[in-house]
Amino acid sequence: MDAVTIGDVTFRYFPEGKRNILDHVELRIPEGGITVLTGPSGCGKSTLAALMAGLYPGNGGVLISGDVKLWGRSVFSMRPQERAAYITMLFQDPDLQFCMSTLRKELRFCLENICVRPDEIGTRSQQAAKALGMEALLDRPLDTLSGGEKQKAALCCLLALDSRIFLLDEAFANIDTRTAREIVSHLRSAADRGKTIIAIDHHAELWQGAADRVISMGEAQVVAVPPKRIGAGDVPAVVLRDVTVRRDRVLIEGGCAVFPKGGMSMILGESGSGKTTLFRSLLKQHPYEGHMEVDGRDLTAIRQKELFCKVGVVFQKPADQFITQNVLQEVQASLRLWKRQEDARTLLEGYGLWQYRKYSPYMLSQGQQRKLAVLSVLAGGQEILLLDEPTYGQDSRSTAVMMEQLRRKTEAGLTVICITHDEELAKVWADKIYRLEGRRLYEA
Amino acid sequence: MKLEKLDPTVKACTSLVCVILLSFQYLVSLNIAVFVLSLLLLLTCTRARGIQVLKLLLPALVAAFGLFVTGYFHGRGTRAEDLQKIAAMPYAVRAAMSTGLYPALQISTRLLAYAGFGLLFALSTDGEAFIFSLMHRCRLSPKFAYGILAAIRLMPNMVREFKSVRLAFRARGMQLRWYSLPPVFTMLVNSIRWSQCVAMAMESKGFDGDAPRTCSIVPKLRWYDLAFFSCWITGILVGMCLLRY
Repeated sequence: MDAVTIGDVTFRYFPEGKRNILDHVELRIPEGGITVLTGPSGCGKSTLAALMAGLYPGNGGVLISGDVKLWGRSVFSMRPQERAAYITMLFQDPDLQFCMSTLRKELRFCLENICVRPDEIGTRSQQAAKALGMEALLDRPLDTLSGGEKQKAALCCLLALDSRIFLLDEAFANIDTRTAREIVSHLRSAADRGKTIIAIDHHAELWQGAADRVISMGEAQVVAVPPKRIGAGDVPAVVLRDVTVRRDRVLIEGGCAVFPKGGMSMILGESGSGKTTLFRSLLKQHPYEGHMEVDGRDLTAIRQKELFCKVGVVFQKPADQFITQNVLQEVQASLRLWKRQEDARTLLEGYGLWQYRKYSPYMLSQGQQRKLAVLSVLAGGQEILLLDEPTYGQDSRSTAVMMEQLRRKTEAGLTVICITHDEELAKVWADKIYRLEGRRLYEA
Repeated sequence: MKLEKLDPTVKACTSLVCVILLSFQYLVSLNIAVFVLSLLLLLTCTRARGIQVLKLLLPALVAAFGLFVTGYFHGRGTRAEDLQKIAAMPYAVRAAMSTGLYPALQISTRLLAYAGFGLLFALSTDGEAFIFSLMHRCRLSPKFAYGILAAIRLMPNMVREFKSVRLAFRARGMQLRWYSLPPVFTMLVNSIRWSQCVAMAMESKGFDGDAPRTCSIVPKLRWYDLAFFSCWITGILVGMCLLRY
């Protein structure tokens, strides 16, 4: 029998909206094993996941037609408590899936929800933590855990709840490859014990060897990757000399790096290694020791306003930097603020966002939000672009399209410095790769 | 014994009843005794540090001083019948009380007594424990209780988020003042999104505010909870009967 049957599902977020996020979708997922669902950004994968978990339309949107059945029973007819016996979900953002302060308390919350007897709760929590090697972290405040540890903690909750399906929605978007692979191996063991694992992921390669089947949503499109620019930019745009950055502890010690003008440089490192803090130091938002130079001038001698004229930044969560209420206004605002004469329509068309011009930026998918954030920053005409985790929430095609556009901009003189934990991205696109590992920043 | 062990609901009720009792009296000595006792308990029977107590007490001290100055310079002075009561006091005290000194002390020390109770409760109570205690003792709905707990967990994120949003706005070329509203708007939009995500995550883990659930930890009333409650109430009632100034 199929574990999940999706029949003729049509779904949209607004009743009066013109665009269906899912249009007559049919899908069957067999019981057991690991099924990976891939597809381009914005094709409705996360929406489908929320429908499978019975979270939509109860928490938003309108189901125009169809039904989702778990072992033949409509998911929409079940109460959350009953649903948890069938399906539980691991979400994309590790920060937004806990309501308690420690893993032990969260596990207790989960087990109380499904009415586990009080005398069994302690044992079951301990067993779930042991299975993932999380016993030492049971009483640590969740806020102090790294992104990877939080995702493992969330997986612990799923193990404790012991539902028949574990559903993962881009669960590895925020964590480094090593931790992601570790979680995949735990999920493989769960699948071998009879669980049905459904993973929505842009990076199907992470599941190679573990997945039993891969289903692709939407059209597969291939983007040609241009060759690297050899010897791009001999003039340095940003120089770090003997830089030490601390936050609670020393993150970078005596780091040296030269990022060439008109080049695409990448800094690789695991979650929590200090990459984002280095960016904050470069933006004069976090103290550092040593010498930083931007465009040949000592960073301390550059005024903040002047620095923002030269250096643009796109953060990991693009939703933080939207300043208007619709996509078109977002680009127009940048052009106005930086007194640029370009046409907003041409820019939006170049990034495939013109059709969404009347949408609120918050209603776009993660990948589309990132594209819009990059576009809005580039519309300002800054010479240096700092990019924090560009692959976050993006499929490989969208990433490639964005990187391709940035590559063209580098040929026109833009310097791109990107921090990522995606080794593949660096191999394919970077002119220069630095690695941040064990407090050392070195050229790879 | 540490006051953190006491049942939070009992502590809250004690503070509430004591504050109501104090509001029916004008005894400077009782106010001061309550304030000093609260501070002593804070410093000896809780994990609160002296500097932390001082920092939190500072606004109350400033407010008490403000009330004192107002009462002293603009008070009506002690009424004739009150002066009868203090006839046995030395002349200097009677002279001071005939100006606004006594009413000024009455209102300023009362504020300090309230602050003492507030601090004693706040610094010896864990937020989570208080919510759980309310759920069991006062039948607070689980939907409401876990909603508050999730909101408490998101608070540090909001502070961090607000700083990032301001930085992102400035990097986009916007001129911001400390009172600029656009970053607040963005932060609020993000907060609504967060709350929705957390609510969905809770629901996915089987949480249903209206369904029955088990409770692995049921707070019990101990003798020392009742002793704490009765000692404070009795002490204040006795003080109200015996003290004169």
